[in-house]
Amino acid sequence: MKHTSMLSQGISRRGALQGLAAATAVAAMPIRASAQETTIRWWSPQAAPAQVAAYKAQIAAFEAANAGVKVVFETTSDEGYAPQLAAAFSSGEVPDIVTHLPSFAIQTYYANGLVEPFNDVIEAIGADDYYEGANEVFKAADGNYVGTGIGNSAANMLWLRKDLMEGAGISDAPKTWDELRAACQAMQKAGIYGAPLPYGRNSMTTLIFIGVIHQAGGQVFDTDLNVALDTQATRDALEFYASMRELCPPGATNYSWGEAITAFVSGATATGIYTGRVLGNVNAQNPPIADSVTCVTYPTKSADIPTWTFNDFPSVFIPKQSKNIAVAKAFAASLYNPEGYIQQLHAAPGHVLPVLKSINENPKYQSNAIIQKYPAEVELMSQAAAGGFNLGYESAKHPSNDKAGKVVGSGAIADMVQRVVLNGENADQVIGETSKAIEDIMKS
Amino acid sequence: MRHIMAKQQQTLLERRYSMLGLFLIAPTVLVFCAVIVYPLISAVYLSLFKIFTPTLEGSWVGLDNYRVLLSKGEFWTSLRANLIWTVGTLSLQIIFGVGMALVLHQNIWFRSLARSLILFPYFISTVVAVLVWKWLFNDLYGILNHLMITAGLIDWPIDYLGSMPNAMISVILVGAWKYFPFVVIAVLARLQSIPDQLYEAAKIDGAGPIARFFDITLPQLREVLVVIIMLRAIWDFKEFDLIFLLTGGGPVTSTQTLPLLVYKEAFALNQMGMASAYAVIMMLIMLGFMLVYIRRTRSEES
Repeated sequence: MKHTSMLSQGISRRGALQGLAAATAVAAMPIRASAQETTIRWWSPQAAPAQVAAYKAQIAAFEAANAGVKVVFETTSDEGYAPQLAAAFSSGEVPDIVTHLPSFAIQTYYANGLVEPFNDVIEAIGADDYYEGANEVFKAADGNYVGTGIGNSAANMLWLRKDLMEGAGISDAPKTWDELRAACQAMQKAGIYGAPLPYGRNSMTTLIFIGVIHQAGGQVFDTDLNVALDTQATRDALEFYASMRELCPPGATNYSWGEAITAFVSGATATGIYTGRVLGNVNAQNPPIADSVTCVTYPTKSADIPTWTFNDFPSVFIPKQSKNIAVAKAFAASLYNPEGYIQQLHAAPGHVLPVLKSINENPKYQSNAIIQKYPAEVELMSQAAAGGFNLGYESAKHPSNDKAGKVVGSGAIADMVQRVVLNGENADQVIGETSKAIEDIMKS
Repeated sequence: MRHIMAKQQQTLLERRYSMLGLFLIAPTVLVFCAVIVYPLISAVYLSLFKIFTPTLEGSWVGLDNYRVLLSKGEFWTSLRANLIWTVGTLSLQIIFGVGMALVLHQNIWFRSLARSLILFPYFISTVVAVLVWKWLFNDLYGILNHLMITAGLIDWPIDYLGSMPNAMISVILVGAWKYFPFVVIAVLARLQSIPDQLYEAAKIDGAGPIARFFDITLPQLREVLVVIIMLRAIWDFKEFDLIFLLTGGGPVTSTQTLPLLVYKEAFALNQMGMASAYAVIMMLIMLGFMLVYIRRTRSEES
């Protein structure tokens, strides 16, 4: 019942359901009357072959249930969606539904009047079925929901090789930075590096380092969304990150998501940092180490600092300029139908985790071979992701930050890491300049 | 009277010819306006506003964008990186291009095949080329590091793209590899039209191969090289995809050229007005360079 109150003031659950039903019915009538006339475009950066196959199955099911509707799936990319959407919004030729973008990206679009409120779709899916707080990150300043999660992701899990740990005499998974550093040093030997932390000028470095700041007990913004970077915690985070440099491959200076996961999965690094996609990739690409792989939440500076999991909250949203909003909403809701949704989650088991409790408890979801092989890891990731945050929503006390997407896109935080760690510049000066750059973005 | 009538008829004929001329040239003028004048005016116009890219809505700021960008250190570091990249890659393109054209101009085995294969880097998509080079440069699996370690030249892999000056050198080399075939094609075409008598006369006068190159070949190539340098300088100065995909402008801003800065402003920060201001400044820099370059080459010719 708690989730019913999540909807914005003025829209009751019943009203929202009636609205959605009416809109769908109205949309469906002309569809049947003029067959083959409604085409909706679906954009997503998730384009692994198995995932695309699952999406196509969901599309086929929706098209079969809605004669005259055609859904076209088009891929974008994690680094490339911003210009594509900017061009789409400015030209008015927008996709009708967009999925798997981080929540903070949508908040920026919504704040500029480009996104359709999603309250009725959440109600149609079943607000009570979501994990507690799962939609808080999508709540805009006006109380509306800008989208919803199509999955959860625990982006900064620490991946470990039990065989290498045993070989190095390490019995327990590291919980603090000191333990992690010591473990990496012990496991680093010829041909194997300690960790694949990203130091590149890209969004991964930004997102992972935001987590490191929190793991030091700090934050990027305070609860009034003032920049709060100039703290001892940020200095500690930079010092830790610099100390890990010698334990990472030389090319980590240019690493992003692809290089980071490949380094661990191929066995080139003893630890990894990624989502649960590691599980599927290890089993498919490097089976000899599959039985030795496990994960924990990323260590913190000291044991008294709680863990902080980065969940970019892969999302679903509908651009306001869509000419088929009702159909797009009906399609968005259909993505959560158990059969199709489970197939979608199984396409990347552990990578995209369910946002609905009923799906997680569904025996069919649990029957997946990877999920059955790594029940503890998947459960840990599910819990960590459900309690996770990102720059648009740094803690339960923070309001939604609709400038977070611009801050991430500016690369200011990745630049800070590179300047201090790679260039050896004075941390105090760099932190001050980075704070100023982020303040300017917040004012713009 | 007859004379006056003839003059009037001639005037009418001239007017009709003029009308016909205008009518015939109109499509060209329209296309020119649509693809050159309109975007140019539009860019200058947009640069005077603060504009949110996705909505293209904004407010008038006058010359404020120019004032801000000229006072930003990032503009000057990007301009410096832009100049280093352009001069570096263009120089290598000319050296490799002329060298390869001279080789392919000789009567060597498989000359036709070699002439076709040399175009391969120029034809291949930049995305594919960058992926191939990123794999070659890879620290863990790249063939370059592997061979060098195997040969005992290095103990640890070299970080080609993530540290300076390696990143800039790597980008310049990949750029030279990608675009030198353009120079080869143009120079080879010119080499084939140099009269053999010039070389024969030089030989009779006792000129060796080096003297023949500097006294005959190079002067004969002068005109085509002037055009090549002008075109390639423009294209290299505004190169985006190759640098963006290889390094993203990093480490920090070491390989961030002005086109990458335009992209960042337009799409990462959603500041289309500021991005337009950068683009206009880029155009002015290129215009300045072209004016100086053309004037100098003309004065040297005269």
